[in-house]
Amino acid sequence: METFEEVISLITYYFSFIYPLLYLKGFVSNGKAFKIFTIYLLVISVIQLFSKLVIKVWELDSNLFLSHYYFIFQFVLLSLFYVQLLRFKWIYYVLGLVMVFLAYQYINDPSLYFRYNAIGMFLTHVLIVAYALVYLYKSLDGKKEFTIVNIGIFIYLLSSSLIFASGNLVFNIDVPESFSALLIYINKFLFFVFQILIFTEWYRNYRKRKVIPK
Amino acid sequence: MEAIVGQENQMLTLIVLAIGLMLLMSLAIVLFFYFSRRRVIKAELDKANLEIDHQKEMLQSIIITQEEERKRIAQDLHDAISSKLNVVSLNANILGEKDITSVEANKIGESIYKVTSTVLENSRRIAHDLLPPTLEKFGLQAALEELCEELIETQKFNLTYELNYTLGFLESNAELHVFRIVQELMNNTIKHSEANDLNLSVNTEENLLSLQYQDDGKGFEMESMRAAKGLGMSGIEHRAIILEADLTIQALEMEY
Repeated sequence: METFEEVISLITYYFSFIYPLLYLKGFVSNGKAFKIFTIYLLVISVIQLFSKLVIKVWELDSNLFLSHYYFIFQFVLLSLFYVQLLRFKWIYYVLGLVMVFLAYQYINDPSLYFRYNAIGMFLTHVLIVAYALVYLYKSLDGKKEFTIVNIGIFIYLLSSSLIFASGNLVFNIDVPESFSALLIYINKFLFFVFQILIFTEWYRNYRKRKVIPK
Repeated sequence: MEAIVGQENQMLTLIVLAIGLMLLMSLAIVLFFYFSRRRVIKAELDKANLEIDHQKEMLQSIIITQEEERKRIAQDLHDAISSKLNVVSLNANILGEKDITSVEANKIGESIYKVTSTVLENSRRIAHDLLPPTLEKFGLQAALEELCEELIETQKFNLTYELNYTLGFLESNAELHVFRIVQELMNNTIKHSEANDLNLSVNTEENLLSLQYQDDGKGFEMESMRAAKGLGMSGIEHRAIILEADLTIQALEMEY
C-alpha cells in the first residue's frame, strides 16, 4: 500500500510530462506568453526526467547539479513570460544583471556547481515573486490572461524559496534523514498545488481550441 | 551532544515554521487580491447600473416630451383646422338645399371663403411651428431673427436681440438644436414668466458659440424645474448635452 506521500510524488512526476503536452496542443494558436509558458513546462519536465535518469540509469551520486539548470532556466523563461504579461521593458535589464551576477558566482567559485547555489536561487525566486505580485495588482482591473497560473507561481515560488535556500544547510550539517525528506515532501506538495493551478488554467481558458478569425 | 542535537532540531523547526509562514502569507496576499478584485468589479457594476438608470430617465423624459408635443399638435389641429372645417362642411351642406335664395348663397359662399382662408393660415402656422422653413433655407441667423420678429409683433414683450452668427458654423442638425433651445426659452417666457423685458444674444467667436437669454420674469425654483421631467427645461438640457455645450441656468427664487 502506497502512502499519500508516494502518491503525490508519482503524480507530480508523471503529470509534469502531461501538462506540456496539453499546452503544446494550443501552441500555434495562442500568444507569445502562452508559448513561453509552454517552453517553461517542457524544460521543467525535461529536468524532472533527467533527475531520475541521473540516479537510476547513469548511477551518479547526486542530481544536485541539475538544480542550477532548473533555477536558471526558470528565471530566464519566467522573466520573459512576465515581460509579455506586464509589458515592462526593464525586466530585460534585471534579467541581464542577474545573469551577469550568476556568471560571476560560478567563475569565482567553480565548485559551486556541485553544491546548492542558495543565494542565486533565493534571488531569482524573489524577483519572479515580485513580478507575480505586480501582475496580481495589475489584474485587479478587468480580466487578464494567466491569472490562475500567476497565483500558482506566486504561491509556489514564495513558499519554496525558503526550502531551496535552506538546501545547503540541510545537506551539510548532520540532519536526520527524516528532516530532509520532510522538506522534499513539502516541496513536492507545493509543486502539486502549482500543477493543479496550471491544469485549472488550461482547463478553464485553453481547453477549447481558439478559432482564429480569418 | 544532546544539546547540539537540540539546537539543530530547534533550527529545523524554525525552517519548517518559516516555510509555513511563507505559505500562509502568500495565500493571504492572493486572497486579499481576490477579494479586492471582487470589490472593484462590484464598484464598476454599480457605476454602470447608475449610468443605465440615468439613460432610462433620459429616455423616459424624451418620451414624455414627445407625448406632450403630440398632444399639443393634436390640440392645434383640432382647434385651428378640424372645428373650422366642420363649419365649412355645414355651410356647404346648406348650399346643397333647394329652397335657398341667391343672396343667402352668396353670404354662405363668403363665409366659406373666410373660414377656409383662416384654415389655410392656421395650417401654415402649424407647419411653420413644427419646422420653420427659414431655418432650412436660410440658416440659424435668419430663423432666429424671424423668431424674434414674431415675438415682437405680439407687442406683449420688449425684446432686444443681438445675433452675430457665422453662417455654417454649426451643422444643420446642431443648428436645429440651438433653434429649439431658443424657441423653448421663449415659450417658457410667454407661458410662465409674466416678464416684460427679454434679451437674447448669440455670438460666434473663433471656435465658440455663446448664447445668452434673459427675462425679468417672476423666476422659478431650480428643484421643481428639475423634477418636472418632460417639460421644456429638460429638453433644453438634453439638447445642450447633445451639443456638448456648457449650460448654466440661473433663476430668481420664486417669492410667495
